[in-house]
Amino acid sequence: MFDKKFLEDLRRQQAEWEKNLGKDIECYGERRKEFSSSSGIPSKSLYTPLDLEDEKIDYLRDIGFPGQYPFTRGIHPNMYRREPFTFRIYTGFGTPRETNQRVKYLLKLGVNDVQLAADLPTQIGYDSDHIMARGEVGKVGVAIDSLRDMEMIFDGVPLNSFKRVSTLFNSLGPIALSLFMALGEKQGLDIKDYVVDLQNDVIKEYVCRGTYIFPMEAGVRLCTDVVRFCAENARNWYPTTICSNHLNAAGAGSTAATAFAIANGIVYIRNILKQGMPIDRFAPLLCMFLDEREDFFITIANLRATRRLWARIMKEQFGAKDPNSMALKITSYSHGGETLRELLNNSVRIAYAALGYVLGGVQFLYNASFDEAVSLASEEAVRVAVRTQQILAHELGMTNTVDPMGGSYYIETLTHQIERRMREILEKVESLGGGLEAIRKGYYQSVIGEGASLRQKRFEERDMVSVGVNVYRTEEEDPEPLFRINQQSEEEQVKNLQALRRERNSREVQSALSVVKRVAKSEENLVPAIFSAVKAYTTVGEISDALREVFGEHKEAVSYL
Amino acid sequence: MKEKIRILISKVGLDGHDVGAKLVARALRDAGMEVVYAGLRRTPEEVVKIAIQEDVDGIGISILSGAHMIFFSLILKLLAEKNASDIILFGGGVIPVRDIKELKHLGVRELFTAGTTTSQIVEFVKKEVGKGRGEKG
Repeated sequence: MFDKKFLEDLRRQQAEWEKNLGKDIECYGERRKEFSSSSGIPSKSLYTPLDLEDEKIDYLRDIGFPGQYPFTRGIHPNMYRREPFTFRIYTGFGTPRETNQRVKYLLKLGVNDVQLAADLPTQIGYDSDHIMARGEVGKVGVAIDSLRDMEMIFDGVPLNSFKRVSTLFNSLGPIALSLFMALGEKQGLDIKDYVVDLQNDVIKEYVCRGTYIFPMEAGVRLCTDVVRFCAENARNWYPTTICSNHLNAAGAGSTAATAFAIANGIVYIRNILKQGMPIDRFAPLLCMFLDEREDFFITIANLRATRRLWARIMKEQFGAKDPNSMALKITSYSHGGETLRELLNNSVRIAYAALGYVLGGVQFLYNASFDEAVSLASEEAVRVAVRTQQILAHELGMTNTVDPMGGSYYIETLTHQIERRMREILEKVESLGGGLEAIRKGYYQSVIGEGASLRQKRFEERDMVSVGVNVYRTEEEDPEPLFRINQQSEEEQVKNLQALRRERNSREVQSALSVVKRVAKSEENLVPAIFSAVKAYTTVGEISDALREVFGEHKEAVSYL
Repeated sequence: MKEKIRILISKVGLDGHDVGAKLVARALRDAGMEVVYAGLRRTPEEVVKIAIQEDVDGIGISILSGAHMIFFSLILKLLAEKNASDIILFGGGVIPVRDIKELKHLGVRELFTAGTTTSQIVEFVKKEVGKGRGEKG
């Protein structure tokens, strides 16, 4: 990238400077033995054009222009000058009626991308009156037993009030999709009038997060049925978002987590190709959810490296021709470093995390709320979260130029190193037989387990600092939550569910369920059958039980090692 | 101490976040204890059954879903019904201070929240189990 003579000159002068640096370190030492984060990529004292040269980075080949292959600098030529990232909030608790109030509040604040948090019974396919649902109804999200609950959650809020509406039943993607389609119909909307986004990434649930239901192959089929259905019927929707977030949080570190997520994406892609759909028909609908929690600059470089690697894999490995198949849309969640102590400090952490994602070129930006370390978000805290997104989008000049960090010696070197490390991990996964086999052989789990132990050790040794917790700690008591879930929600939800069972046409429900079972046994796409069942007010639990009958259930290998 | 301390570590309810539970299990093992790890999605009934079958000294439960009040209370009740209240119950997760006070009042020995070190938990288990054995012996 640079003139040969200039590089020789630079190399000579830099060697001189390094002698000075050596003396400085000898004399004053360094604060830490190693400067690196859980990403596994170390930081040096200084980066110069020599690093770009040594990494053999070529501007046109590796960095290029935004909106063009390999999309390192962003997926649109004019990025946020055209439109800022979305203001996204993850919300839901208690009964649908309670969540409806929160959804209306978010809309008033200017949230334009809302993701419904469903409670755990819903995500795992148990109705609110199931014994396994006891104690969990409405706790980490809103209870959704049937279409009737969706109607209440969005009562007075047409789905096109937001740029996107979303949820994440990762084991039950076709039900989530059907609930939104059926609700759209009820609200008189055409599929083209609103946009649904689904996380619908089940593979990671088997190694972290834990909302698996069916054996892995059946889980993958349900995910890809959703993608194939949307590719044919709702091309402006987002049928799956392949996640590194939970893998990183569990302990993998962001680089390995992203590589695993890409490997999981490849499992879905191969599955869809095998069913005869060409790559450019569905790849433009795929997104990723990326995450880094410890290092601001790694955050930026991780997004850039992942976009480049994804583009290259789509083009080189899968032969994609459509640039939209190669341009990776990214979701990120500003959270991870929050502490229970001194909750307000979390606003600062969330703002910096968000800034990192914005500088990395994120499309869909979630912010956590400062009190989520102790409870679900209060209205006050969620307002700060939304305002943080809006301040970043409009007040600070962050969005005035495309990829302002591009060309930084440090960022470009990190981007290159992360891409290379991710490729190595992907090769390892391939050598084990691909994502599902690597999981069966315990590879993901061992990386996650080792990473989690190392992270805890670094925290306890104060190598990983958490201000107010393991340094600068005061003696004040932990805070009380600003928000509490109504303990009567479970009872109310069960009562409503039982009323629904009395009022609906049970013959229609039974026949819809037998169609679901028949289609589950075949190779047909399950979405139409599940859509019919959902429209007949069949419950999430009933549809899940029908699928359990056909597919069986995943058995976790119980181990803490 | 005559024999190794035996501890059951489990998740209860539907919450799948098991990083903390596994970290604690490894730390107790590394401190020389015997750990029975029961994994995800256990009911309070199953936890108590396993604890008695495996003759453990203590049960450590991880809950991050907010369902802690009902599950800890239920486990205490079931332990009492089975005359097994000598098994100490402790836990961890996202649990507000007010709830911690209430649960400790009910008989949960300790609840650990974010920012706890594994050595604090190891020390706690050694001390509490030691106390229990002292009383018995």
